Amino acid sequence: MYYIILSILFPILTGLYLLVRKEIKDRKRLLTITGIFLVISGALVILALCMAGNGIFTLFNLTERLPVLFRIDEVSVVFSVMTVIIFLCAGFYSFVYMKHEEKEKRYYGYYLMVLGVLIALCFAGNLITFYLFFELLTLSSMPLVLHNGSREAIMAGLKYLFYSLSGAYMSLFGVYFVERYGNTLTFSPGGVISAQAAAEHGGILLIVCFAMLIGFGVKAGMFPMHAWLPAAHPVAPAPASAVLSAVIVKAGVLAIVRVVYYIFGASFLRGSWVQNAWMVLTLITVFMGSMLAYREPVLKKRLAYSTVSQLSYILFGLAVMNEGSVTGGLLHVLCHGFIKTALFLCAGAIIFMTGKTKVSELRGIGKEMPFLMWCYTIVSLGLIGIPPTGGFISKWYLAEGALASGIPGFNWIGPVILLISALLTAGYLLPLTIQGFFPGADFDYSALKKKEPPLLMTVPVLILTVLSVGIGLFPQVFINYLSQIVEKII
Amino acid sequence: MGANLFSNYGEAVAMILFGIGFGNLLLQSNLIKKIIGLNIMDTAIYLFLAEKGYIENRVAPIVVDGVQSMEAYINPIPSGLVLTGIVVSVSVSALMLSITIRLYQRYHTLDLDEISIRLKKEGL
Amino acid sequence: MNIVRNFPAVSILLCLFAGIISSGLKKKMAGYVNTVLISIVGLLSISTLFYVLSTGEAFVYVMGKFPAPWGNEIRAGVLEAFMALFFCIIMLLSLFGGRKKLTDEVEEGKTFLYYVLMDLLLASLLALVYTNDLFTAYVFVEINTIAACGLIMIRQNGRTIEAAARYMIMSLLGSGLLLMGLCMLYDLTGHLLMSNIKEQVAFVYASGEYRIPLLVTIALLSVGLAIKSALFPFHAWLPDAYGYSTVSSAAVLSSLVSKGYIFLLIKIIYRVIGFEIFYESRIVDALFAFGLMGMIFGSISAIRENDIRRMIAFSSVAQIGYIYMGIGMGTQAGMEASIFHILSHAATKSLLFVAAIGLTDVSGGSRQFIELTGSGYRNKWAGVAFTVGSLSMVGVPLFSGFVSKLLFAQAAVQNDIKMLPALIVLGISTILNAIYFMKTVIRIYTPLEDSKYGSITFKNMKLYVAALVCFIILNVALGVSSQPIVDLIGQGLAMFS
Repeated sequence: MYYIILSILFPILTGLYLLVRKEIKDRKRLLTITGIFLVISGALVILALCMAGNGIFTLFNLTERLPVLFRIDEVSVVFSVMTVIIFLCAGFYSFVYMKHEEKEKRYYGYYLMVLGVLIALCFAGNLITFYLFFELLTLSSMPLVLHNGSREAIMAGLKYLFYSLSGAYMSLFGVYFVERYGNTLTFSPGGVISAQAAAEHGGILLIVCFAMLIGFGVKAGMFPMHAWLPAAHPVAPAPASAVLSAVIVKAGVLAIVRVVYYIFGASFLRGSWVQNAWMVLTLITVFMGSMLAYREPVLKKRLAYSTVSQLSYILFGLAVMNEGSVTGGLLHVLCHGFIKTALFLCAGAIIFMTGKTKVSELRGIGKEMPFLMWCYTIVSLGLIGIPPTGGFISKWYLAEGALASGIPGFNWIGPVILLISALLTAGYLLPLTIQGFFPGADFDYSALKKKEPPLLMTVPVLILTVLSVGIGLFPQVFINYLSQIVEKII
Repeated sequence: MGANLFSNYGEAVAMILFGIGFGNLLLQSNLIKKIIGLNIMDTAIYLFLAEKGYIENRVAPIVVDGVQSMEAYINPIPSGLVLTGIVVSVSVSALMLSITIRLYQRYHTLDLDEISIRLKKEGL
Repeated sequence: MNIVRNFPAVSILLCLFAGIISSGLKKKMAGYVNTVLISIVGLLSISTLFYVLSTGEAFVYVMGKFPAPWGNEIRAGVLEAFMALFFCIIMLLSLFGGRKKLTDEVEEGKTFLYYVLMDLLLASLLALVYTNDLFTAYVFVEINTIAACGLIMIRQNGRTIEAAARYMIMSLLGSGLLLMGLCMLYDLTGHLLMSNIKEQVAFVYASGEYRIPLLVTIALLSVGLAIKSALFPFHAWLPDAYGYSTVSSAAVLSSLVSKGYIFLLIKIIYRVIGFEIFYESRIVDALFAFGLMGMIFGSISAIRENDIRRMIAFSSVAQIGYIYMGIGMGTQAGMEASIFHILSHAATKSLLFVAAIGLTDVSGGSRQFIELTGSGYRNKWAGVAFTVGSLSMVGVPLFSGFVSKLLFAQAAVQNDIKMLPALIVLGISTILNAIYFMKTVIRIYTPLEDSKYGSITFKNMKLYVAALVCFIILNVALGVSSQPIVDLIGQGLAMFS
């Protein structure tokens, strides 16, 4: 039992320790300490997953009816393992990357705290605990956005804060109603709304559910509350934008999974106007995100827009609410997590080595850092959905699920939009590869130098690339595990 | 309604006076006039209380000729309240006046709005 | 008769005597007397609280030998004792936090007067909390006003005197209405003791006569106290009074003085008029509406403010709006939420005032935002404390503000008509709160390159830091273990009737 709380508190407390302690002059020492903390945190999470079983751990009671409690289930496993892997990769990567940024200690402090809060979100056992850490996530991740302290960063941070707080409040609004009409706030597969309550207060509960979807959807960058994401993600240091874009936004996805499948229940929502409205919103987001990414010249911003679009793939899968689509959505959580981290780390490595941010400036980059660009190309293919990468499998399930759903209109318009968006994805990711490796006949090759980044940068990218391809090569392992979840909640 | 008003004309007058005092305290910008309004308001309340405590043809409850029947006397509590109220109002008026003097010494005006304008200019 | 039964009366008298004695003492001594006094009163309140909890019912202490309908009474229940204790804690911490500033800002020869006023203020607050007699309540309301006015004015500059004048005028309007209401109530019922009035009011109400006078009376009482506690739109005096007086005064005024009036209003609702009768008059709807407006306009004014102290003062307007919204909700739960918010706001607002002064001190004494850049690094403790206070105000979980918002919302969903406006305004005001508090927090943690001001370390101001730490602990304690306190409030409200 106590492993759970240990795995949550350890990163938070060590993060606090780093924040409050005196400036460490010796950079090597700081990195050693941080590295040890990161590895221990990761180990503790794995330990908690192995040892804790299915028990409930109540920390304390906020009020009589609202305990703060934790429990590990399959969804927690998926999200927490992904979080740990990505945090370790991006963490070690930042040991090199952060060399040219100031205030490293502060950065690592908040980085560890965000890790702890995310783990707590994964393990949260009821809605109020989830909400509590959801707010803390906003607050602890904001310093990452604000890190370089420029005016642009502060404006982006404020934007992030206000969008998130407004969203969180809309969700809190829902929590009150769920507390009144539901049986309990504890997450239980299939929902907590009794048939009687659904019959009597169905109308208001649907409105509440929609409010919560929009509210938690803020974190997941869902239209109409997506505008903060392209502003906030690129201003952070690259490893921080990687975790922001790959993991922290997944907290929004996790929130929606919990709300839809563990609080309201799929059977309550299926066929309602909420489902239709939700699907429309996600499809708009998918398309719009890809279009905006396609038009964006700055690489990191382009990747941020791509996050907007890809997250709504996941949300669309969740919205369709049948086995195939939900499996695809959850699998895409993993794929997108690994791929987007790898992409941001590549973008970061390019900035670190060359200082260039715009795609158009990067002609011939493939000749300068071939290894990195190969990784970039492979994960890009994954995001587009070309076999044998993981992205292909998840998108296949998504499209198949949508086709099989039988929801009139959406069963064909959904897959079509997904397909168009995949083409756009190719359109915005591959130009870098093409320009990078084939700069054209007029290009002056003599100016190029080998600029392969240091090992601590390339290895994390490599690990993530291997993982994203691994999902595609051995999909059955993942599908089997995910279907355990899906069986319970559909 | 009209009859009630007529038979309780004392209370009605008290209420009108209260309104006058309240309006003066709220709306006048001259501090001295405000204090006058305050005193009118308080006095109106005492009038109201006194009017309530007085019953025609009865006397204060001081036993001198051996009559102990309740019918012979008025209720003394309102008078007591009036006394307490006067004490309070005197001290409050004194405080207000002292504030007024302070302000006058600093700004040489009794107009509260003008003082505010000057303070804004001072930009403290 | 148990000796504890004397404690409420003794603590009021102690405060009055301490005030009288302090006026003849030197500056230092008066301070010591004040500290000892507040601690003693706190201890007395604790023992009263435990006594009442152990007997399970409120007790009445008869002043002098006059029995019930004529004499003057003091009544102590769980809520009264708890409030007294809480007021003592907040007052002590605010004074500790502002002590250094006090010696800077108040003329050397007049500091002892400050403590005299504090003693009197405490006396009147305790009397408002404990008394069972409406006219006594009125008299102490006036004493409270006078003491508060002195606290505003003791730092002599044009602003504070003007603020004191405005405060006085508003308060006098309020107490005029209150007194009128009392007189009419006396006229209707023939009593001054709360319990007797309540019986008679119920009787009069049941008979169906005098409906309009009763309604007018309730309106006069509520509006009078609402004006005195600075409910929107009667808040014009507040920003100057809180913004320019010395810091302990600002903390005490915002967290205790206005709360004392609100507590009196709650007592009147429960113990004089009766909960049901009060809610059947439509006055509550007006309070509710003004509360909502206060929440919005207070926050908007705070956003437009460029001066940190005035910003916090405007935020008080919004928070008082919250409290009146809870009262206006018309449910037991709403009332509990309001009382909890009285506590949480008192703990948070005084923390913010005390922390803000630490920040302005390291910024050359300027309170403009632009000058505060980076002050969180120069005075670390004040920066942390201000951040905690802001988070609590915004309603982030684990701090007291979150619990009160939770309670408000839980109360709101129980009332079908007022649910939507309450929740929507709660949401808007939360976001507005976030805008100005987070703006400030980011400002004080934005690094300033050329450090022209020195930084403050722990050693310079031990007492100040200790006060801040206590405030933070209080805040987190209210946020984490709210349930016992909510239970206590519920128990206390049950004892009211």
